Amino acid sequence: MSADKTAAGSVLRIERSSIHDGLGLRTVIFLKGCPLNCSWCSTPESKEFAFEKGYAAELCSACGRCIESCPEKAISYTDDHLQVQTEANKCTRCSRCVGICPSNALKMYGTTLSVSEVMREVSKDEIFYFYSGGGVTLSGGEPLSQAGFSAAVLKKCKVLGINTAMESSLYSNYESIMMILPWLDDLYVDIKHMDSSVHRKWVGKDNRLVLENITKMDQSTYPLTIVVRIPLIPGFNDSDQNLLATLRFCKGLSRLNKIELLPYHRLGSETYRHLGLNNPCIDLIPPTADQLSERVAFMKQQNSKINICAGSGFTSE
Amino acid sequence: MPGPVKIKSAGSKPAYLQRINRLKTRVLQTRPEMDLENARILTRGFQEAEGEPLVLRKAKAFYRQCAEKTVSISEDELIVGCSGSKIRAGILCADSCWSVLDHELDTISNRPYDPFYLLPADREAFINEIKPYWKNRSTYEEWQAQIPEQTRVLRDSGVIYIDRKAVRGFGETTAGYEELINEGICGITANIIKRRSDLDMTRPGDYEKDCYLQALLFAAEGIIKLAERYADKAGRLAGAEPDSQRRKELFEIAEICKRVPAQPARSFREALQSLYFYQIAIFMEQNAASYNPGRMDQYLWPYYKADLEAGRITKEEAQELLDCLWIKFSEPCLFQDAGTAEFAAGYPMFQNVCVGGVDDTGKDAVNDLSYMILQATMDVQLYQPSLSVRYSLAKNSNAFLRKIVELIRTGTGFPAFHNDDLGIMMLMNKGIPLKEAYNWNPCGCVETNLEGRLRQYTALADINLGSMVEFALSGGKSRKYDRRVSVETGDPLAFNNYDHFLEAVKAHIVHATRSVVIGSHVIDEISLNRPCPALSLTFKECIENALDYAWGGAKYNAGNGIILIGVADLINSIAAVRHLVYDTEQLTIEKLITALINDFEGYEDIEKLCLEAPKYGNGEPLADQITGEIFTFMADEIEKYSSKFGRMTPGILPVSGNTPFGLEVGALPSGRRAWQPLADGVSPSGGTDLSGPSAVLKSVSHIPHGRYVQGTLLNMKVEPAMLETENGITQLMALLKSLCSLGVYHVQFNVIDQETLIRAQENPEQYKGLLVRVAGYTAYFSELGKDVQDEIIGRTVQHGISVG
Repeated sequence: MSADKTAAGSVLRIERSSIHDGLGLRTVIFLKGCPLNCSWCSTPESKEFAFEKGYAAELCSACGRCIESCPEKAISYTDDHLQVQTEANKCTRCSRCVGICPSNALKMYGTTLSVSEVMREVSKDEIFYFYSGGGVTLSGGEPLSQAGFSAAVLKKCKVLGINTAMESSLYSNYESIMMILPWLDDLYVDIKHMDSSVHRKWVGKDNRLVLENITKMDQSTYPLTIVVRIPLIPGFNDSDQNLLATLRFCKGLSRLNKIELLPYHRLGSETYRHLGLNNPCIDLIPPTADQLSERVAFMKQQNSKINICAGSGFTSE
Repeated sequence: MPGPVKIKSAGSKPAYLQRINRLKTRVLQTRPEMDLENARILTRGFQEAEGEPLVLRKAKAFYRQCAEKTVSISEDELIVGCSGSKIRAGILCADSCWSVLDHELDTISNRPYDPFYLLPADREAFINEIKPYWKNRSTYEEWQAQIPEQTRVLRDSGVIYIDRKAVRGFGETTAGYEELINEGICGITANIIKRRSDLDMTRPGDYEKDCYLQALLFAAEGIIKLAERYADKAGRLAGAEPDSQRRKELFEIAEICKRVPAQPARSFREALQSLYFYQIAIFMEQNAASYNPGRMDQYLWPYYKADLEAGRITKEEAQELLDCLWIKFSEPCLFQDAGTAEFAAGYPMFQNVCVGGVDDTGKDAVNDLSYMILQATMDVQLYQPSLSVRYSLAKNSNAFLRKIVELIRTGTGFPAFHNDDLGIMMLMNKGIPLKEAYNWNPCGCVETNLEGRLRQYTALADINLGSMVEFALSGGKSRKYDRRVSVETGDPLAFNNYDHFLEAVKAHIVHATRSVVIGSHVIDEISLNRPCPALSLTFKECIENALDYAWGGAKYNAGNGIILIGVADLINSIAAVRHLVYDTEQLTIEKLITALINDFEGYEDIEKLCLEAPKYGNGEPLADQITGEIFTFMADEIEKYSSKFGRMTPGILPVSGNTPFGLEVGALPSGRRAWQPLADGVSPSGGTDLSGPSAVLKSVSHIPHGRYVQGTLLNMKVEPAMLETENGITQLMALLKSLCSLGVYHVQFNVIDQETLIRAQENPEQYKGLLVRVAGYTAYFSELGKDVQDEIIGRTVQHGISVG
């Protein structure tokens, strides 16, 4: 990565024509690296700032080309000779093995992009933003962990008349948030749990900073809107008590546009396997559509003034 | 459901749908059969008129068909008429192509594409009556005897497909329905009689004209006769009908058939019936695809409006009648030879109905009937008519666009969405002035037409673009047939830069185009012996010039359509060669060719390089730049040539020809393996568009659509979320507006339903670009574990579609 953090970012991937992460048709820039460690995380490949190598053993033909290609001799066969393995501390993420693998069993997560490279991608869809009222969403990982880069991208967008949004945990110092505030139209922030100790247990960090930052942003002079998202994780934060506490907190926000309940899903479980990571929620069952709508209805019953809805996704059917 | 506002399915169904569903069931449960009644009558007609001019014999035989064919009216029908003796029947146009059936007598009942059951009695009649008379007399046989050598070589090695027009009649036309409905056959006949009275039989040429005008009169009489017979039939049935409601309906049918199409229509219902009688008449005359009713919302509007205002009809009654007509459009089945059926499978009648766009003053043309026509397709959900919309970005409303999206949601694949400005541009590029081009209509698949004024073969021949790359890398040799079939372009190993390679590709394109043009001239000559007086009746200038449609009598004549197939394969292959061999030098051309010859077996590393090279459909600058260059070159090349009717016309519409053409092409530098289907239309190759719909549209916009005047076809997949929520519908509307701004001409949507996902699970490489998206998360479906895939499949809607 470049030393100048405003010029280059660690990017996981860029997705175009998304309709789920803000207004209109959007280009979503997933940044790599996150300070939190949520047990239910669906994007484990976004946690580390450094690039990571994934390995889909089920696709591997054990042809050995990667072993030959590795300049660090970090790759070897497993004992049964049916698969390969990489010694993480030897691997320099040079990607040579990924390029040569004929069966696409190896994959590199992460790439370094400059602000202008990102903007080249962004500008491809200008016409779609125009007709849909869409724009650019920074997501992650945690965009605030690369605040200089994130601010530079958002600023460029605003100058071009492109709507900006950010999906963030707000687990960040406020200086970083200040860098972004002038350029942000819509904030999407998670409130994972209102009880600090439960939060710490499942997320790895306290919730105090997050709640403080939400309040500060809500009171800032910039005209942004706030969408609070609750990732609905069965047995963790779906109790009446926690949802009521969240509602109470949200009631105090003047910029609140709506609360979205995003149901837990397991779409990322394959990535855990490919990264060789332990998936702590592997046995957790996603809420059914009925359970989700019941929780939404419960919250609506408690507060009819706030717009509360289920997030888009497969549970919408 | 909570959350994103869900679209409610329509509440209780209107009562008239019960009738429609009964009629629909009858169509769906009828097995397609061959129907030789028409051919037998035609044969007797020709025998009887032996010695007379060809056009008169054709017209008299047509009259006999109208006077003698089986006439039946089924239960529940409100609109009547059938081109054959039964529904779902393939009629044989013996004068065009009797011999096609001769070759398939033993196979037609069970052939893989579009089988027609051949009854033993019909088989006998064919052998004893039809074949003995027509032997050596059909256009198909003339074509087989006259096909130029270089054209034949390319045809026989799967490089071009050019038999289509020799195996069936003209089609690909939009008759003057408006004139027919407004003036009636009698109004048209009066013009013919007046024109005849101007003739001076001492003047050279006037005898020929007189014969022709007489032929028109026979055809006109025939159509009137046919309607009268339906009137009689309805009257007789009414007399014997016990149910009083049905008896009343049958009497109404009898009254209407007495009136139209002979006389001008006086009501919406008469207008529909008049139209349908003419539709079956012109299909009977020359079994062919693509007789397009065109802008029904425009020419039927005055009738509907007047009825409504006078209190003669309710909206619901009008909808029922439209729905009844929609069922009728699904009744006939196109008979074609097995080879052609493979290129266009599904008994494709391609009766293209269109709504929307602008009127001839350039203002918004959408009216209530436009919506009702869209509703008819939503109600009936059968495979015909082919429903198209002209959407004018500047002039049509969001309400209209929304109704279009609601129809897309049904998953029927309809409507075909057309960018109105591009359609107008294409027609102007065919030489038609703007004033008239405003009135264009989509034709057949995605071609462009103009009612009652334009004669053309919109899709005379197809060129296999996959072969062009293969030949450049083989010195003109077909890999499948292992022989040289195209021009010599030198040893590919000696191509020391990209331009050399590209010049070779272009040389083969030039050769294929020339071979098509040479063949096209022969077909044009043969087609002069295929006059179509019934169709010509509604082409005003045919009467004025006393010159048949087939002979160039229409107001405008365009050169034949030359269709390109394998767009993405060509672009991706050129891009891969350029990127791998010349720009990055990752590969020598020799190594590449070796891998291709071996279909990548043992060369998986090269296959991977090829697959990962820049691909069309991702907004990649290299692929997009090649797209613009090569498709400008090909349009230039095709437009260099003219037929006796006008400048040749390029188009990109494969129907299903990309599959049989794929069987003729070995492995390609794009990474496509040998004998696999080519990409369809201007769509990216399956599994290579990895960046979502906006990227696809950006790439597709690099084709100079306005120059491909026979249309360009784009198929896109749409994720269910785009169709299930209010937000999604709005976004799809925005996507369509963006498409128009980008200058893309057409799109049709396939909804990603359960079936798609199951296929994707089984063939992941074909569906690599399929995204799974939820808030804050996105993944490629193919990369998910089977358990998660199953979960998604379980939660995705099954979209129903009825196909014939």
